[in-house]
Amino acid sequence: MKKLAISLFLASGIFLARSADLTIPVESYKLSNGLRVILSKDNAVPVVTVYMIYDVGSRAEEKGHTGFAHLFEHMMFEGSKNVPKGMHFATVESNGGTMNGSTHPDFTDYFEILPSNKLATGLWLESDRMRSLAINDENLKNQKEAVKQERRLNFDNQPYSTAIVDVWPGLMFGNWQSSHSLIGSFEDLNSSSVEDVSKFFRTYYAPNNAALVLVGDLQIPEAKKLVETYFGDIPSQPQAKRPDLSEPAGFQARKDTYKDPLARVPALVMGYPGPKRRSPDYYALNMVDAILTGGDSARFRLDLVKGKKSVIQYEANLGWPFASALDYRDPEPYAIFVLYNPAFTADQMIGQVQDEIAKLQNEPMNAKDLERVKTTMRAARIKELQSSMSRARELAQYTLADGKPELINTELEAMLAVTPAQIQAAAKKYLTPDRRAVLEIDPAPAGGPGASQKEER
Amino acid sequence: MLHRSLLVFAVAALQLAAQTVDRSKPPQTPPIPSYKLPPVYETKLPNGLGLVLVEDARFPLVTTRLNFRAGTKFDPPDRPGLAEAVASLLNEGTKTRTSRQISEETDAMGGSLNGAAGPDSLTISGSAVSDSLSRLLTLLADVTLNATFPQEEVDLYKQNRIQSLRAERSEPAFLATEKMKETIYGSSPYAHIAPTVQSIGKLDSKTLAEFRDTFLAPNNATLLLIGRLPARAELMKTVTQLFGSWQQKQLPAAPDTTSPAPRRRIVLVDRPGSVQADIHMGRVAPTRLSPEYFPLMVGNSVLGNGANSRIFRNIREKEGFAYDAHTEYNTERDAADLVAVTQVRNEVIEPALRAVFAELENMASAPVPAEELTNTKNHLSGVYLIRLETQDGLASQLNTIETLGLPNNYLETYTTRVRSVEPGQIQDVAKKYIAPEQDAVVIVGDASKIGDAVKKFGEVTVVKAE
Repeated sequence: MKKLAISLFLASGIFLARSADLTIPVESYKLSNGLRVILSKDNAVPVVTVYMIYDVGSRAEEKGHTGFAHLFEHMMFEGSKNVPKGMHFATVESNGGTMNGSTHPDFTDYFEILPSNKLATGLWLESDRMRSLAINDENLKNQKEAVKQERRLNFDNQPYSTAIVDVWPGLMFGNWQSSHSLIGSFEDLNSSSVEDVSKFFRTYYAPNNAALVLVGDLQIPEAKKLVETYFGDIPSQPQAKRPDLSEPAGFQARKDTYKDPLARVPALVMGYPGPKRRSPDYYALNMVDAILTGGDSARFRLDLVKGKKSVIQYEANLGWPFASALDYRDPEPYAIFVLYNPAFTADQMIGQVQDEIAKLQNEPMNAKDLERVKTTMRAARIKELQSSMSRARELAQYTLADGKPELINTELEAMLAVTPAQIQAAAKKYLTPDRRAVLEIDPAPAGGPGASQKEER
Repeated sequence: MLHRSLLVFAVAALQLAAQTVDRSKPPQTPPIPSYKLPPVYETKLPNGLGLVLVEDARFPLVTTRLNFRAGTKFDPPDRPGLAEAVASLLNEGTKTRTSRQISEETDAMGGSLNGAAGPDSLTISGSAVSDSLSRLLTLLADVTLNATFPQEEVDLYKQNRIQSLRAERSEPAFLATEKMKETIYGSSPYAHIAPTVQSIGKLDSKTLAEFRDTFLAPNNATLLLIGRLPARAELMKTVTQLFGSWQQKQLPAAPDTTSPAPRRRIVLVDRPGSVQADIHMGRVAPTRLSPEYFPLMVGNSVLGNGANSRIFRNIREKEGFAYDAHTEYNTERDAADLVAVTQVRNEVIEPALRAVFAELENMASAPVPAEELTNTKNHLSGVYLIRLETQDGLASQLNTIETLGLPNNYLETYTTRVRSVEPGQIQDVAKKYIAPEQDAVVIVGDASKIGDAVKKFGEVTVVKAE
């Protein structure tokens, strides 16, 4: 019986290798002003994603200006020379599209998903704000308020969020560029001036500091012509300096506790400085993460949720609390978040998580289990690549960080080539208690920052 | 390398002549294209199991939904959370497979398999790489027919659900939605959105199996399959083998879902320490099968769906009161509600409430101007296309049709019906369902900070956040 199961399994493995033939077409070039352009055609559904990425994120902020990259992202929706305030939203939606923008540690993105014959509309909007953003006091004041409201809604009024966004980076990183709060303080937001916004715009929002990715129902020659028409004559700027993100040498184990007045269930974050992007250890650590937390048969689920009945929910990845390993460039941490049963102490939980890691350090992963993890990874990858938006984001991330959008077609293979010995070695090298940061988040209903002194039931 | 690269890489700048273009106006573009859905094949097994098959060869995946009309509205009144627990525990052990085996088999086919209960339906959702379809269906049939609800798994579920319920109850949005549904739905089962600690405590294997035995029947179910499917005859053979001998059951009568007449009430859920106030304002509204649905849905979109909607432009962009301001038209099978939602800082609670009231009133007092209406219709037509990009997107749309009992041609005719809505029709339904005279107003926030301001709008019932 067992043998049969394995052979069935291998059969499906062969199929999957074939189905990784789901190759995403990639055509890339550069305009004379330095704008990198990536086109990827897929005519299945008449939809196109226009995805603009700028090579600046929260880690480029200066002291006294925490939260500025995000505030600036809001300003990008406030109008430009030919697109009056409010018209951006109106134009996208009245043409049948959706849009958004988001700020990440090392990049900021803006996108429109549109019916495919509205491509020119998306390019008009993105080029107009790159060319001529409307920067004035009124817009800035209004968006400072919107950002503060966003902070109240998504952070100050939510359990765990303040700990994760304000406290955790300070524990994990030693360099201020990485350790400061990425959403920022109200004080710093208030101090931002129109001059700050103009300078940031000039420095970072130039065509040579950006990439434009078009994915979906495209006609390539027509798309190229439109891109040239709308973006070709936007002047380039002196190349912006990238921030020095190097971490001080000699990471020491560290631990902190945050009393969360809004939390009802205890939580724990454990993080470890990660390997260099796209190094062999990076692929191995991605595999470690998949073994611990990917899929229904992940070890955290089978051993901790089921076995020890201690963990209630978990999340982890290289780059956590951001969604993917591609959100950070170097340096990036591997971090694990667990919500756990209050019948256990934080120390017990730290021990249990570290024990799961120790198993990976001490015993090589058996072939059948590893094959299953790899199958899960491949399938997750196909699912991920279904939407034009997720394809566009990934192409853009690889373009900025590595200069190679075509990595979208090869990174999975690099991940899957990882051997049991490499997994063991990476777990030993990176995930040890002496290079670990721990943040305990304890429910603290009474008092605390932002909370009244009244007793809450 | 296994895959041939289609990659074309050209670093050199392209020498394309730029066209001259008038940047001062949006580009002229053709109307939103139409898109023909892949053909949907529907049939039934002799035991009543509905089948919906859609060939979608874009990706080497298959997606399935097994939909039962067995949602949370069927929970016995003293056992809220039963349907949800059944859904969660179906894949935690069968007569021949342990929970661990199920999860390992699921992962080994690159898949997923999870149950979830909504108000009307209990749905088991699954996916796999396409050549594992028969294994996916085998596993689906096993958890559907043979779940044993092992006591150990039930106990763990109870323990963790109590904790996750505590976590949910710390979220202001949860508290506001809970109170709103309770207020507008009264004794209807749609009034409850979550279990209680007590009802979770009462769960056991026997109760779960009874619910399963009552509601999980072929004549109460539809199986959706979307993806790269095998030939029809082969697929029908597999499905018949797995589900054909499943016995029909006599189904219990549907619960009474009558809602009380709407009337104005203001409820303040006191959450000490809240740095902002969550405002929900709404009432019951017609279901999707009502002739009033499309006018009201389009009107609701003008009012509060998206960044170009009235309430977003006014409350967020103009006034800066809030980050989020929207309206939702939540349609269940037998009832529906329309609710305006925003979260504002404590100091502006009074002007914010006035502004929301004013936006609701405006919808009733004047017809939507032609251009604004066209814009909204375009938005709805385009978003409809975007949702069809993924198999999951298509599966969710088709599953909603099953859940709500919508006609087969619902998706095909959706865009046409949106386009046909007239301003007068919107104003008529807005007078009945958007004008706020009979709205319930639920506010979650720190009563010591906002209580006095809220009292200016009428009599306020203050309740503690549990």
